[in-house]
Amino acid sequence: MNVRSQIAMVFHLDKCIGCHTCSIACKNIWTDRKGTEYMWWNNVETKPGTGYPTKWEDQGEYYGGWEVVDGELRIKSTSRAKIVANIFHHPHQPSMDDYYEPWTYEYKELFNAPEGPDQPTARPISMVTGEYIDVEAGPNWDDDLGGSPVYAANDPNLAGLTAEQRDQLAAIERLVFFYFPRICNHCSNPSCVAACPSGALYKRGEDGIVLVDQKRCRAWRACIAACPYKKTFFNWFTGKTEKCILCYPRLETGQAPACFHSCVGRIRYLGVLLYDADRIEEVAKLPAEELIEGQRALILDPHDPEVIRAARANGIHESVIESAQGSPVYKFVKVWKLALPPHIEFRTLPMLFYVPPLSPVMAQKEGGIVDHVSDDLFHDIDQARVPMRFLANLFGAGHEGKVRFALAKQKAVRLHRRALTVGDVSPETAARALREADCSPEEAEAIYRLTSLCTFEERFVIPPMHREEALEMMADPMEVKQATGFGFVAGPRRGS
Amino acid sequence: MPTNRFAHPRAPGGRAALPVGLLAGLLALAAGPPGAAEEAATYFRQNCMSCHTIGGGRTVGPDLKHVAERKDAAWLEAFIVNPKAKLDAGDPYALQLKEEARGAIMPPIAGMTPEIARSLLAFVAAESALPKSQFAGLEVTDEPFAAADLERGRALFRGGAALANGGPNCLSCHTVRGLGGLGGGRLAPDLTKVYERLQGRRNLASWLQAPATPTMRPLFVDRPLTNEEILPLVAFLEEAARAGGEDNAPTQPTFLLLGLGAAAVGLVAADAVWRRRLRAVRRPLVGGRHD
Repeated sequence: MNVRSQIAMVFHLDKCIGCHTCSIACKNIWTDRKGTEYMWWNNVETKPGTGYPTKWEDQGEYYGGWEVVDGELRIKSTSRAKIVANIFHHPHQPSMDDYYEPWTYEYKELFNAPEGPDQPTARPISMVTGEYIDVEAGPNWDDDLGGSPVYAANDPNLAGLTAEQRDQLAAIERLVFFYFPRICNHCSNPSCVAACPSGALYKRGEDGIVLVDQKRCRAWRACIAACPYKKTFFNWFTGKTEKCILCYPRLETGQAPACFHSCVGRIRYLGVLLYDADRIEEVAKLPAEELIEGQRALILDPHDPEVIRAARANGIHESVIESAQGSPVYKFVKVWKLALPPHIEFRTLPMLFYVPPLSPVMAQKEGGIVDHVSDDLFHDIDQARVPMRFLANLFGAGHEGKVRFALAKQKAVRLHRRALTVGDVSPETAARALREADCSPEEAEAIYRLTSLCTFEERFVIPPMHREEALEMMADPMEVKQATGFGFVAGPRRGS
Repeated sequence: MPTNRFAHPRAPGGRAALPVGLLAGLLALAAGPPGAAEEAATYFRQNCMSCHTIGGGRTVGPDLKHVAERKDAAWLEAFIVNPKAKLDAGDPYALQLKEEARGAIMPPIAGMTPEIARSLLAFVAAESALPKSQFAGLEVTDEPFAAADLERGRALFRGGAALANGGPNCLSCHTVRGLGGLGGGRLAPDLTKVYERLQGRRNLASWLQAPATPTMRPLFVDRPLTNEEILPLVAFLEEAARAGGEDNAPTQPTFLLLGLGAAAVGLVAADAVWRRRLRAVRRPLVGGRHD
């Protein structure tokens, strides 16, 4: 057993209201520099939709992630031989058009326009070329099903849905969507790290945050092709790759990352997971239907004395083990089995998990009157507005079992609380639902508390990062004393 | 101080120490120690022998035996230092020399100074007094060359066989007619007619012993061709001239067309190799729409 600690995350999708506050918080802190205008380390997508960059989930186009060939894990987009053959041209690079061309507006025209019969307008200007542009795409162009005949209809997760189900998804007064906020998953088997020919990407030993060494990056952009979530970005100005850093400077000072901190719906949870690094390859090679269970097995019980002993032997600090024992992520992922990894079939073993949305029907329009639905307050899981198949493609590697279990448990918790607080659900119904969802009343209560009444401290269990211990092995900790601030210790330059 | 008093300016330490070295050399020559004549002989071999003999008759340039009796020392010295200046000035004797050499003019020798010229003239005078100078010229047979010589010459020219002293093969810079393929190098003159230009085997062979032009000299001064290489090369070049015809300039457009063709093939191949490359996702999805 090779115990490592990882700062992992859970996003509770039923709580996301799609306000994009997280995206703005991130952009204002990290990507408002030249060359990063088009980057959204955190973005919020509408599902069904094609997301950002367009159709990123379609690896038939982008060749991201891993595949198992002859019992070996291979990166789809590159290999030792291909990296030489493609040395001057990587064939799987998204263009800026697949993200979008960032723009601003010529605001001064609002003030300088001469008096006339028309309102003055501010024309959009490309932030790359400085020329006037016709805006054709944006980072959330398909927000709230905008342009759904083009975008939502082409969501790769619709694969396997019947024509009837597809029609219902788009039918007026029945259409449904949910939000899907995305950041870097800080995977335990990151293909971006594996693909980098310069060894510039690395997974930080003490907390598993995946980072890019700006001094070693040589602009091969192999990571951009290899990441199936398209969460590494090329800074066209510095000629280096950049990505979500999970706000590690904030974590190191005990603060939640900016997107977590600012989340209006309080959908985000963060905490330590202990996992067995020796078994990563074995798990990543499992057949698709066993991947979720395999990844759960990879995550170790922080209360197990055996695990604690192995963690100590690996130099994991006592305070980190304690933090892992209180981790909300461990509860959501391993104990309650509510949170599921996104597209685990890409085999990067993401460390960001999602509680799939129940999207309950709260009201119905009957004969021109909007009425609350009370009889069947929480619909049958398999008759849900969001087809099970769709959620299974997104969170179950195409298999419905794990998703159905997570949804049934959520529904049981709601019925349980409804029986307690409102009383329009009989205690017997609630008890039966809990039994069927393999959930004790105590567990239901705990899920309810952590979902609905959670405090800052419960959502974000940030371990002391002990950078002093990690640093002294790497470099002189005084090297950049009094040289604080944002930006680079040495300015990145092309070719440097 | 360099011991070689005729140090070539490119020799290590030569440039700065040259005047001192020369002065010492001249003093030494005047005093007549045995080493001085040897160094003058080396200099003559490396710079003069390709066109001149001493008592061997005319090759490309005139026989230098008793040259001092034909013209006074001051004129000779000035001519050696800068042959072109004399010609440009319309000096009648210089023009006569050019006439006799069928238009070939003496190339300026890098690093030549009046001091070196004087010591060379002294050396030539000394050699002229001998019954048979060591620079009486190469004896080249008039017999037709054997086919084996021709083949060996072709191999030496094309680089199929390495030159014994490590010099570059001719093909690196020169071409001749009938080489096949894309021909030879285009940096230097086409050698198809060189046999005719130098007027025969003897001149060509002499020239090859120590090529004296500014480009050839630095390449071959330390890596001279051996006699076993010179004769096959002469045979090859003689054959090339005998085959006649013009220099093969017409291969130039062929080369260009071939280059364009190869570029086109390369582009098509690149397109084929990367046919599954990511071209665009969003635009084809959206099609002609602007929404």
